[in-house]
Amino acid sequence: MLKIEDLHVEVDNREILHGLDLEIPKGEVHAVMGPNGSGKSTLAYALAGRDGYAITRGRILYQGRDLTAMAPEERAREGVFLAFQYPVEIPGVVNANFLKSAINAVRRHRGEAELDAIEFLKLARQRLKLLNMDEALLSRPINVGFSGGEKKRNEIFQMSMLDPRLAVLDETDSGLDIDALKIVAEGVNSLRGPDRTILLVTHYQRLLDYVVPDQVHVLAGGRIVKSGGKELALELEAKGYADFVKAAAA
Amino acid sequence: MNVNTPHKASDFRPSAGREHLGKSPAWLDGVREAAMERFREDGFPSPKLESWKFTNLSPLARTTFRSAEATKGRKITRVDLEPYRLTPDCHLIVFVNGRFRPDLSALDHVPDGTRVVDLVAAGEDDLQALIAPPAVAVEPRARTLFDLNTACMGGGAVVHLGRGAILDPVQLLFVALPEAEPAAFHLRNLIRAEAGSSATVLESYVCLGEGTYWTNAVTQIDVAPNAVLRHYKLQAEGSAAFHVAETSVRLDHQAAYRMFAASLGSQLGRNEVDVDLAATEAVARLAGTTLARGAQHLDTTVRIEHSMPRGTSGQEFKNVVDGRAHAVFQGRVRVAPDAQKSDAQQISRSLLLSKTAAADTKPELEILADDVKCSHGATIGDLDEEAFFYLRTRGVGEAEARSVLIDAFIGELIEHITVDSARTYFRRAFDHWLADGGRP
Ligand SMILES: Nc1ncnc2c1ncn2[C@@H]1O[C@H](COP(=O)(O)OP(=O)(O)O)[C@@H](O)[C@H]1O
Ligand SMILES: [Mg+2]
Repeated sequence: MLKIEDLHVEVDNREILHGLDLEIPKGEVHAVMGPNGSGKSTLAYALAGRDGYAITRGRILYQGRDLTAMAPEERAREGVFLAFQYPVEIPGVVNANFLKSAINAVRRHRGEAELDAIEFLKLARQRLKLLNMDEALLSRPINVGFSGGEKKRNEIFQMSMLDPRLAVLDETDSGLDIDALKIVAEGVNSLRGPDRTILLVTHYQRLLDYVVPDQVHVLAGGRIVKSGGKELALELEAKGYADFVKAAAA
Repeated sequence: MNVNTPHKASDFRPSAGREHLGKSPAWLDGVREAAMERFREDGFPSPKLESWKFTNLSPLARTTFRSAEATKGRKITRVDLEPYRLTPDCHLIVFVNGRFRPDLSALDHVPDGTRVVDLVAAGEDDLQALIAPPAVAVEPRARTLFDLNTACMGGGAVVHLGRGAILDPVQLLFVALPEAEPAAFHLRNLIRAEAGSSATVLESYVCLGEGTYWTNAVTQIDVAPNAVLRHYKLQAEGSAAFHVAETSVRLDHQAAYRMFAASLGSQLGRNEVDVDLAATEAVARLAGTTLARGAQHLDTTVRIEHSMPRGTSGQEFKNVVDGRAHAVFQGRVRVAPDAQKSDAQQISRSLLLSKTAAADTKPELEILADDVKCSHGATIGDLDEEAFFYLRTRGVGEAEARSVLIDAFIGELIEHITVDSARTYFRRAFDHWLADGGRP
């Protein structure tokens, strides 16, 4: 499903990822864990196609196709979704309008019929309920005045509406209290399935208590330095990243 | 009439529009000749003048113009005007190439106590008000186009509201039909709102076809005690046009003036608005937006004079600039020594959509009273890259994401338009601009 080979990414002429390899089979949930500044968000942005994140070497294969040649919106329409670590506030753009045009752009691309206002609202209400979120969100500008937790939940809500094939969640757990964390985790779990591949990017292992990954990878020094089962997360929790960082630097 | 040299316009004839002013009194002839004399003396305002430093009129001054009378005025019908109308049934006065067109206007149902007529039908009082100097004084050499307008005015709308009258709304529609040879249209409008009256007036400047021409418009406005005027202006001239406008507003005790101006058209445009809060507790709320692209140069210059105590003024202007275009906002607020407890706010924001787009903003505050509340702010920035990326990661295409963000930028301004039909009208104009055309 997703195959990243020898990925080198430069930001502002500085290389952040130095040859990252990662493979996630279809339908699996993988976690990438790493200390602050290790390049987790850089990986997430490179997957989503952000300007300024130059791929200088290597490639990203998604469903067998090279993702790097595609614009962010093309990736989205092909089923790639990024939940932002810091969801962006956009004053003056109403959630419902934005999400409806996003969904219909994706649906058009897939050759599906567009949703009209009523169908959209019906779907949105159902998904909001699932995430224990207030419908008033729909008429508010994107993320403006949202609490940290609301912003993260809004990301999951958008994900559930857009129905992606590959979801990259960048520290969706950070800044959440335990109740919010459980809701987000439930949301993610409800979206788990054989057709959906999920990459959880996280600093802490606590999300992984609720969303149990098939595999865990440690990112340090711009590379994946270790991969293993879910017990690797516990090992990290106990020992910290220090050993891995040292190993990566060596 | 011709202008051949940039700053000596000796070929303009002062009589150009006179025959259209009906039985114009002798004193007016004198005024017009004197105005022409001043224009001949000083010519077009030079960018050496402080208030013109961002806007160079030499492309205008270099162009040779014929008088409006010389234009043939291709046949148009009401159907041609439909896209530019505020509503299908609002009161409407139409001018084509500077001349009143009763056949295209709709003035039969103007309510009692109000009058909407062409300049030709202006009374002595109206003419006096029309030739009054603008509400805020500037150095004479910066005002020579007003003089030229005085000398050459040949058409325009006179809107008169008697005491307590209500006129909701009236549209003044100025249509240009450009021809091979450029023509100049010197329009002179007057809006007089007597005590306690209330009106909504929309001025629209539009163009059918392509070609160079010049609209030189002056709108004189008097708002009497407790009267309310909602004034909207859409400048959607043709892409090769020149548009220079002076709006001068005098506000009496507790008069309220709300203005929204959108400048979208013309290659070179200047919209000057001068407001004098000439009596106590007057309110002036001005907002507007300039949407410029290609090689357009669009200038908005506002001067607010708080002459008397307890007045309130607000200015909120936004520019969206693309291509190689240049937007200018100059906003001056002056609070006279006696104008205690004045409240004056000003904000201007510019959004640059390309590396070659430019915006200049110049706020000027001159506060001579000590007990006042004044503030101003100006920002110039690019499209929010993060927001742009965020929208695209959800599948929204590049062009749509751009237009969504531009729309969000100007969207909140639309709240200043309190009349529903006008809000729809401007919304349509903006949507059209965003979609591409630049004109409604
Ligand atoms: N836009 C940027 N400009 C410059 N440096 C950046 C930018 N984004 C990230 N970096 C740098 O790249 C490195 C990795 O950052 P990031 O990918 O955000 O790490 P993480 O998400 O793991 O905390 C850090 O050293 C950070 O300072
Ligand atoms: Mg990060």
